[in-house]
Amino acid sequence: MSGEAILTRNFARSDSHTLGVYRETGGYQAWAKAQAMEPTAILDEVKRSNLRGLGGAGFPTGTKWSFIPKNHPGPVYLVINADEGEPGTFKDRYLLERDPHALIEGMLIAARAIGSATGFVYVRGEYVEPWRRFAAAVREAYEARYLGSGFDIVVHRGAGAYICGEETGLISSLEGKKGWPKLKPPFPAIKGAFGAPTIVNNVETICQVPHIINRGAEWFAGLGTKTQGGTRMYSVSGRVARPAVYETSVSITLRQLIYDLAGGVTGNGKLKAVVPGGSSAAILTADEIDVTMDVDGLRNAGTMAGSAGVIVMDETVSIPEALMVVARFYAHESCGQCTPCRESTGWIYKMTRRIVERRGRKEDLDTILDVAKRGAGTTICAFYDGAVGPYISYIEKFRGEFEALVPK
Amino acid sequence: MPRLTVNGKEIEVPAGTNLIEAARHAGVEVPHYCYHPGLSIAGQCRLCMVDIEKTPRPTIACNTLAADGMVVSTETDRVRETRKSIMEFHLINHPLDCPVCDQAGECWLQIYYMQHGLYDPRMTDEKVHKPKAVPLGPHVMLDAERCILCSRCVRFCDEITHTGELGIFSRGDHSEIGLFPGTELDNKYSGNVVDICPVGALTDRDFRFQVRVWYLESAKSVCPGCARGCNIEVHVNRRRPHHAEGRRVARLKPRFNADVNRWWLCDAGRYGFAPVDAADRLLVPTRRDGETTTAATWDEAIAAVAAALRRWPADEIGVIASPKMANEDLMALRRVLDARAIRQVGFDVPPRDPGDEDSFLIRADKSPNALGAELVGLGGDARAVVAAARGRRLKCLWVFGHDLLASRWPEAEVLEALRAVETLIFTGANANRTSARAHWVLPAAAWVERDGTYTNFEGRVQRFRLAVEPLGQALAEWEMLGRILAALGETSTATRAEHWFRQLTGAVPAFAGLSYQSIGDTGRVLTRDAPARS
Amino acid sequence: MKGRDDAPAAPTFSEAQLAEVHRLQALYPDPQGALLPALHLAQEAFGYISLETEEYVAGLFNLSPAHVHEVVTFYTLYFRERPGRHVVSVCHNLSCHLAGAPAIIAHLKTRLGVAPGETTADGRVTLLSVECLCACEAAPMMQVDDRYELDLTPAKVDQILGSLA
Repeated sequence: MSGEAILTRNFARSDSHTLGVYRETGGYQAWAKAQAMEPTAILDEVKRSNLRGLGGAGFPTGTKWSFIPKNHPGPVYLVINADEGEPGTFKDRYLLERDPHALIEGMLIAARAIGSATGFVYVRGEYVEPWRRFAAAVREAYEARYLGSGFDIVVHRGAGAYICGEETGLISSLEGKKGWPKLKPPFPAIKGAFGAPTIVNNVETICQVPHIINRGAEWFAGLGTKTQGGTRMYSVSGRVARPAVYETSVSITLRQLIYDLAGGVTGNGKLKAVVPGGSSAAILTADEIDVTMDVDGLRNAGTMAGSAGVIVMDETVSIPEALMVVARFYAHESCGQCTPCRESTGWIYKMTRRIVERRGRKEDLDTILDVAKRGAGTTICAFYDGAVGPYISYIEKFRGEFEALVPK
Repeated sequence: MPRLTVNGKEIEVPAGTNLIEAARHAGVEVPHYCYHPGLSIAGQCRLCMVDIEKTPRPTIACNTLAADGMVVSTETDRVRETRKSIMEFHLINHPLDCPVCDQAGECWLQIYYMQHGLYDPRMTDEKVHKPKAVPLGPHVMLDAERCILCSRCVRFCDEITHTGELGIFSRGDHSEIGLFPGTELDNKYSGNVVDICPVGALTDRDFRFQVRVWYLESAKSVCPGCARGCNIEVHVNRRRPHHAEGRRVARLKPRFNADVNRWWLCDAGRYGFAPVDAADRLLVPTRRDGETTTAATWDEAIAAVAAALRRWPADEIGVIASPKMANEDLMALRRVLDARAIRQVGFDVPPRDPGDEDSFLIRADKSPNALGAELVGLGGDARAVVAAARGRRLKCLWVFGHDLLASRWPEAEVLEALRAVETLIFTGANANRTSARAHWVLPAAAWVERDGTYTNFEGRVQRFRLAVEPLGQALAEWEMLGRILAALGETSTATRAEHWFRQLTGAVPAFAGLSYQSIGDTGRVLTRDAPARS
Repeated sequence: MKGRDDAPAAPTFSEAQLAEVHRLQALYPDPQGALLPALHLAQEAFGYISLETEEYVAGLFNLSPAHVHEVVTFYTLYFRERPGRHVVSVCHNLSCHLAGAPAIIAHLKTRLGVAPGETTADGRVTLLSVECLCACEAAPMMQVDDRYELDLTPAKVDQILGSLA
């Protein structure tokens, strides 16, 4: 049920990242078309396409763009979040390495829509080869005069911090500071990078834009569900036969994704649980996989689409151990700015570790649940809420497994 | 001007007011740590949560501006429960240092956790350990474990002193306040970070382990360290005299004054109170005959000074007043001088080292009341007075406070002047090389030991109040001068400093219309005609 | 503010490197935006970021050294001590954990004789155990210097180690 490959159409070619191949396969035609469109028409097209952010929050992209104040006298910045870091997610890495020009073309169109003359692409520091690939594509684009004629791109490397994937954490890092997320309000569209109106979008989201312009909003909307248009790239890993990136309509169900596309559980084993949207998404049990993998479908199922990082777990996986690994991640990546997250991510990791090492106490489980529930919604950014997703869902849905490790 | 409701009370506040300040308008205090009205908004502690109608979750008050029609509740069950949660988060890694921590008794972790009944921690894992008892500079001690990472100190060094010494390093629960390795917190306002630290992470080295804060009493006062007149509180320890090595004044703290120093105080002023309890305090009137110094009674001293003032003609008597004297003292001195028509008086003795000055609070003029002395009419040529003494034209020289031998004037010349006069009188709180040569020493009460007013460089008259009783037999200058006036046969009904202030308002046009009441706690600027002192 | 008088002199950028810093500073609306790139440049040029280098870079950006120190200690890719000639970062996050990262890490510990966070005595390899590198489809995996090494087995690890001079 994968349907037409759109974002991934060129991936098989070893030279897919070059300008030649990109143009050969229709690249920069959307940009030509967009240059003849009014910015408001571009924005409207993207709105009607029902494109939702593909980095994690799933916010309607056209709506986000419309928050930029009209006729703003100063600069407006387009910032691309290439700080992919959500455990289980690797799609943007593929896009940067295999189709960097798609991002550049998408940026040109988006910039026209929001009135931006400068784009920053924030690439996670660990992505050295993808960064080189993308920077080379930017050079090609400058040589071909796509860039430097009203729109410039500054490529900026991060230096190792998951929190820089949070849009205002990214902005702080871009500004040359620690990646501390900013208080909202004001929102970035009003006051963002360097104090100017800013749109931060995920790599994949922007890569969709040329296709929307080329083939129209209705086409894109029709590919998905009623509330989310298009395809997206699902990163599938874990106990699955064929871990890989799979592009498919967002209306696909999790069962279809695992069994029809990714080859099912490794060695025909028994499915136990699935993380559907990167580690910050609440876990689903094997009984809960008939859910559509769109933003609203997953939200209604009590989890989230997030970054579409799908991690499959079978009966051989220890859920308490998985929680410990995930809790360790959140403790390490907490930026430390605000109290609930800073203090409790470390403490909760210590508790999960004790539980796995059979030094847990019977009250630990309820303590973790209570602390997580008390902290949710009180922090500066959604990082802690992302930590709370696994803290609560792993324990609530697999309580028996945890209880087996602690004294009665 | 937005109109909003806080806990059922309708208020109107200026546009741009955040909800913590708006709540204060309604008489409601919203608990908080990282917010400080003198610093930028951080929104980090998450304690100042309030409920706003139509908002699904509690919101932080510091970063929310009051808007028309807002309905704010600070004490709903949900807010209380949220606050309790936030307090628990703050305590997760906090060390149980209260028994050895100077902040105990004025610690906002203690105050809030007790308000929320968080007596039994459920955090029983090993807490994160960080450096303890780290001197950051001459005045400030850091305990990084106690730090709640509110970032007030970092923002202070960035936004107020613009020196940027402090940062928050690393991340997560290993985040740590600190200096760039190898540097010091040595800006001239370093002590302020101790005030603004809500907990015992930053404490005062001078005050360390001296006395528990619940033994302290406080008086509103004005720093006498320079012509700015920063508003302060004097904290004294009367109840545990065996603590703090018997120091009565335990510490100074700034007092908010929107027009003078806002929340801040420089280190020189903050730590400049040592002379008050120093061993060189003058405690009893003394007379010196040759090498012999004997204690005298006040009656004897008063009589002797009055006699000296009567014995010689006015033009053979010179007076060096002090710009550190209060307006009341200066007024009383004026009356004494007028009673004998003594005209040779000055106060401007140049210090050996020019005082430092900055664009913030510190003034080069290191006296609190030069403008007062000038307005009271005591601003004659002090150097000429000393020259007259040296030239044997003066029989009697009366020096208030100064050590003339430590001034910029050539020491040899000053020595000659001091030796030349027949009667050298000294009035002051601390002994010095000038007082050592005086024939009569009248011990003055220190500035913390009496009431009075100073006139700062902008013409603001500010009250300072008695914090602790005078040592020994020391008297405020106005009091001893009142008695001298009486001994000279003049009427003097003044029994309090305030009486002298009233006389001042009558005698000096610039002070007309003022009163202790109108001066209040934040002072009052003199009338337009008063010359500002540059 | 006092500096570190007893510290060794910081290495400084060459003319070309300095020109690159200035070029970077001009790319951002506020030159401070070039701080992370400049620190990467410093690490490339000098091998790691010493305190002296932090002070030096702070001077180039008109920032207090404390604020540069904040940045250097916040991010994981800046080395504050000279690392080995090669940096081997093994992912220990969820998908890699499920695919056997602990065994790979144990294997590396045995082969190299160091624990994660340490450098071999001969200065050849620094071993790190890190969070998700986003190559979960090829778990377990590690990053060796600039490149990702995927689908690891103990044998493949040995082969890779053997190729590191």
